[in-house]
Amino acid sequence: MDNIKDTVLEVILSILPITIVITILQFTLIWLPLDMFIQFLIGVLLVGSGLILFLLGVNIGLLPVGEMIGSSLSKTKRVWVIIFFGFLLGLVVTVAEPDVRVLSSQINQVSGGRIPKDILILSVALGVGGFVALAMFRIIFSINIVYLLAGGYALVFILAAFTPSVFVPISFDSGGVTTGPLTVPFILSLGVGAASVMRGKSSSSDGFGLVALASIGPILAVLLLGVIYG
Amino acid sequence: MNIKIFEGFWGVLLDVAMALIPLFFLFLIFQFIFLKLPWAKLQDILIGFTLTYFGLALFLQGVHIGFLPAGALMGEELGSLHHLWLLIPIGFVLGFVAVYAEPAVSVLTHQVERVSGGYIPNKVLLYTLSVGVGLSIAISMIRILLGIPLWYFIVPGYIFVLIIVRFSTKTFTSIAFDSGGVATGPMTATFILALFVGISSVIEGRDPLVDGFGMVALVALAPILSVLTLGIIYRRKEQEQYDKDQTRTKAHHNHR
Repeated sequence: MDNIKDTVLEVILSILPITIVITILQFTLIWLPLDMFIQFLIGVLLVGSGLILFLLGVNIGLLPVGEMIGSSLSKTKRVWVIIFFGFLLGLVVTVAEPDVRVLSSQINQVSGGRIPKDILILSVALGVGGFVALAMFRIIFSINIVYLLAGGYALVFILAAFTPSVFVPISFDSGGVTTGPLTVPFILSLGVGAASVMRGKSSSSDGFGLVALASIGPILAVLLLGVIYG
Repeated sequence: MNIKIFEGFWGVLLDVAMALIPLFFLFLIFQFIFLKLPWAKLQDILIGFTLTYFGLALFLQGVHIGFLPAGALMGEELGSLHHLWLLIPIGFVLGFVAVYAEPAVSVLTHQVERVSGGYIPNKVLLYTLSVGVGLSIAISMIRILLGIPLWYFIVPGYIFVLIIVRFSTKTFTSIAFDSGGVATGPMTATFILALFVGISSVIEGRDPLVDGFGMVALVALAPILSVLTLGIIYRRKEQEQYDKDQTRTKAHHNHR
């Protein structure tokens, strides 16, 4: 029950302040027709209640699954199995991430269908998967995270020079939205599980940096998509 | 009045099914090969999946019927204001309040307070972050108004991050790199983004695809920069403490 109360409070706190600011703006500067504004408020209610159910479901069902998969993977002790399933998990979790879906449907809409939603979601997910796999590799062979980040961003900047300029903002935004309420806890628990079992000695800090790495993947993937389209 | 609540809901339900099936399928594979969970545990997980399914569906429905159309229209109104400079403070306020109350942020700020032994109180990081994200959104407004490419902000931003990492402590670096997501709460990539697309669609010479997007990326940069900067300040203090202790021991030795 506490869990439910906390989640409800959490969702209200993250939605209400902006709603209040928007309401003030509506009646000072914006003055949309009233039914459109009511439509917005209904949206707030649906988003809020949806988010509450979503977070509860993630906590009850999805996160425990992530943790169990993480520790059962580590027990196999086979490097390629861990890396392969790290990739798959990154992929399937991203496909279910709410912000990723919203961003891609907006891009689909704004680009007039030139950048289709499903292709975008798939490339973002492949990007996350690839970099979660890389992160698992890093944990197993204890490679310094700063080198990977620097290398990743260097690659991003190089690729960006070859992609149509339209794709640059979209790609960086795709990197930003992958760090949502499903992906982050899921990937973190996977990484912590892998780090703790892989080498016995607990250096929990090795699970860190996963989120940063995971958000480079989609940037690269969408930039690549741009190179292909361009 | 013309209010739509469940328009297109079937499509959303189908979309969400497509979103969750891969994860569910992967879970089933693990269940049969590795996990072999008992039925009671399995029941919890199924309930979890069901809640997630309907939650995600309601969330997306709300975004589609409410946030996206209203955000775009409000953006169009804001973009046709007489005093466009007003968008800059509005952006700042939106960013500030979005972060200030965000629960994910308070988890982060308390974590930093703990690892710094109270030297960086959670309020300090909270204000740094709120101002940081406020500035990110204000800068994104300036980007739209002047048509500056995202490049000019993102490249220096990340180069700066990679430089100051050298001067931060390891703990702060770890926290910083995983904090990128805390500021992009449920309103940022949905409503505020729609607002931006709306604004850039009415300002002359702007392409919503190029100028409207990019805001989320700048918002995600703010927590990384804030935590790393506070990490440097903290390390300075640690260094000073260390120096002081050294001189004290020396003085002590001399005295003897």
